Amino acid sequence: MAEIIGGIGTSHVPTIGVAYDRKKQETPPWKPLFDGYKPIAKWLADRKPDVLIFFYNDHMNGFFSDLFPTFAIGVGQEYEGADEGSGRRALPPIKGHPDLAAHLTESLVNDEFDIATFQERAIDHGLLSPLPLLWPSQPDWPAAIIPIQVNVVQFPLPTPMRCFKLGRAIRKAVHDYPGNLRVAVVGTGGLSHQLHGERTGYNNTEWDAEFIDLLERRPEKLASMRHADYIRLGGAESVEVIMWLAMRGALADTVNRLHQNYYLATTTGMAVALFEEPAPGHPDILGHAAASSAVHAGASQ
Amino acid sequence: MNEQLRGIEDIQGLYLFDVRLAVKRVRLNRLLWQLTREDEREKFRQDEAAACRNAGLDELETRLVLERNWIELIRIGANFFALEKLIRVSGKSNLEVYAAQRGETLEEYLRTRRVPDAV
Repeated sequence: MAEIIGGIGTSHVPTIGVAYDRKKQETPPWKPLFDGYKPIAKWLADRKPDVLIFFYNDHMNGFFSDLFPTFAIGVGQEYEGADEGSGRRALPPIKGHPDLAAHLTESLVNDEFDIATFQERAIDHGLLSPLPLLWPSQPDWPAAIIPIQVNVVQFPLPTPMRCFKLGRAIRKAVHDYPGNLRVAVVGTGGLSHQLHGERTGYNNTEWDAEFIDLLERRPEKLASMRHADYIRLGGAESVEVIMWLAMRGALADTVNRLHQNYYLATTTGMAVALFEEPAPGHPDILGHAAASSAVHAGASQ
Repeated sequence: MNEQLRGIEDIQGLYLFDVRLAVKRVRLNRLLWQLTREDEREKFRQDEAAACRNAGLDELETRLVLERNWIELIRIGANFFALEKLIRVSGKSNLEVYAAQRGETLEEYLRTRRVPDAV
């Protein structure tokens, strides 16, 4: 079976990509952001996952309102970066993992999670902004990605609970894969920010800290909240943190938070966090269904 | 009414882009989205009014695009992420447009930020 080794939550602010391309990593305004990714880049270099499954969103680049899928999984061989209005970034194309992606699609659809599939769509900053901070891009990316696009730009969006359940369905599907693969899951976006209207510039650092704590310890509380709650607490565009919830759903009930960094420079609370799976043999590795049935068994005794 | 959004009516300065606006403003947003292509950018640079006309924009949409009236474009139903392409083509930074939507200059906006030189 394939194994999930951990999950990463990360902001995907496009300016991170601009700062990276302009080599501002060591400049005072950007160093606290880039340094915050180093422990996670090292963890990935040490643990060497074969695939990163990304819950990310497109920002009207690869997709448009003529057909905007609520959930869509990339099943293709390779992905190019998007031209978002000023040309493509100088990054190599990223390999997909068509066999695992096909398996995930079959498992999801047979579980009545009717996800759309795509290939040959450009991937935008929703995935590419943080990727070079996690993985070296030169001479080539070290492994493959499976992008799972989540609509967070045209309401109605999938509910927070649905995103959490998507993560759970992905966890089950990964564990059912017949090949030996090591997989890490990534959820992108957030944290607090609003980019449109007179409320632009809204932040809530207290909520951002609470969100990461709840994500680790009580994700079901976050899943039961509504889009309106996220918009009020964190600003309109912060509702995209439901993609962190999809990542969390793909992990065991109990995880180890190994690292976290938070940096609010101008407009968006930029965060990154690493959650490691329990060691093999730990009861929680069996997953959510086993964990909750154990709780019921305990209650009836 | 979208049940997930019930209760946001009292939040000021919020214009959520939904499928109703996506239908009402599909021509405007398609024009903006197509600026992800260099050939479309070139056509737009050559003659902005003609590009708007060819994309089927109405008089109001055309005027707001030509004026770069960011806040009004948002109010009538431009998707912010589609609008970002026009921001790029206009040689503007997002920060300038954040400021403009608040009725501020870039300098005024940056004074309200924690690390104003992180640009």
